[in-house]
Amino acid sequence: MKPNMPLVTLLTGAALGVGVLVASMLSPSSTASASGYGATPAASKSMAVKPAPASSASGGTSAAAPATTSATTSAPAPATTSAPAPATTSVTVPATAPATAPGTVPAATASVPKADVPSKADYVARTDSGGAAVAISVHAGKAVAYMCNGHAVAAWLKGTAKAGKLELTGKNGARLDVSYRTGKATGSIMADGTKYSFSAPLVHRGSSGHRPPGLYEATATVHGVKIKAGWVVLPGGSQVGSVEYFADADVTPTAQAPVLDLTTGTAQYDGVTLVASLISGFTGSGF
Amino acid sequence: MTAQPDASPPAPADVSLGIGKLVVPSLIGGLVALTLGVYGRLHHPTGVVVNIAGFTSAGYVKSWLATVATAFAIVQVSSALVMYGKIPRVNAPSWIGSLHKWSGRIAFLVAVPVAVNCLYGLGFQTYSTRVLLHSLFGCAFFGAFAIKMLILPKRGLPGWTLPLAGAVVFTVLIGVWFTSAFWFFSTFGLHR
Repeated sequence: MKPNMPLVTLLTGAALGVGVLVASMLSPSSTASASGYGATPAASKSMAVKPAPASSASGGTSAAAPATTSATTSAPAPATTSAPAPATTSVTVPATAPATAPGTVPAATASVPKADVPSKADYVARTDSGGAAVAISVHAGKAVAYMCNGHAVAAWLKGTAKAGKLELTGKNGARLDVSYRTGKATGSIMADGTKYSFSAPLVHRGSSGHRPPGLYEATATVHGVKIKAGWVVLPGGSQVGSVEYFADADVTPTAQAPVLDLTTGTAQYDGVTLVASLISGFTGSGF
Repeated sequence: MTAQPDASPPAPADVSLGIGKLVVPSLIGGLVALTLGVYGRLHHPTGVVVNIAGFTSAGYVKSWLATVATAFAIVQVSSALVMYGKIPRVNAPSWIGSLHKWSGRIAFLVAVPVAVNCLYGLGFQTYSTRVLLHSLFGCAFFGAFAIKMLILPKRGLPGWTLPLAGAVVFTVLIGVWFTSAFWFFSTFGLHR
């Protein structure tokens, strides 16, 4: 045996460590592969669900309803043949509309949501357990959701909204299954390996000077690290917020967010001012 | 390591002398652990982690490498038990020493890139109990391993030192693995 093989082992390891460190420093491009992981499942999921023209049509025509002959957006359903075929089929399968009623305009039937299902809505609530909160925004066939527990758990999800159902996906297997109506959204969210259920009432926009309840987001680069903060502001002004580090990477260490000042819409994080923007399906901001 | 025949005449003096030989390696090992922790805390983590083709993400690369290192570490403990004659009715084969040395070297060298990625990409973090424990275990592992390597060639140490050092290294590595790869696989699924 050579004199000091253990020392050789140690030094070899040290040299390897320095080598890998230098290689890491020289390859900033490797983040791209990391961010791809999170994007893939969400993208493929939304692809699978979306008949793109139909979903955009449903949102677009409800806003531009006067142009499509049905002047009354709220109750045109009986007039446009969709009485036997309620929202579930009219939105998902445009092909059935011509089949059942050839004389009507398909776009019109697709545009009419079931009276109970809003096309623009925001919901917030605390989860039934776990000290977390969830916010859901629906706007014109698309939906965004966020949940966090003010500590290590945070998940952003997105996907399509159709017929009062949301199946949203996010990074690392995060998943939200919800049915929503004018009054509330009920369902569950899976994040960080835990399932949280909740029943979230519709947010009513206040007229005070304070920021309304809802979903707030802020991104910033602090000390070279991209961070993304999210807050769920509940009716009454309480809030739950988490901040994720390396927002574009596949693994995002998460911690408690600084308090969001509801009069200014800002928060102080490590000497940096975070400017939060409201994500609202009701107004469409953030979509 | 050949068992030391207990023929050393002045026992108390010999033991204290032997233990004295542990001081410098322990200080160096402590310094290694401290250096890693301080670097991980002060260095602004980049989030950059090198991925390898064929894996879903860098998290999986690290988790599998850590699992490989842990598997070799189990070989380490098993072969050590055989060498010390602790397994009944099993005589140490001639190659057991080589198996022990090479499994240890491989485990260590596989663990190094994982640690570099962690410290460079994520840093020493404390945002949850798991993460804090992982950060502490991870730094402690390399310190403990350095101590064991440094005392390995020394002669005249008390008989319990190497088994203790090996046990500490192994236990800490299991702690590292449990708070990272085990958590990762159980959270995100067991695949590549």
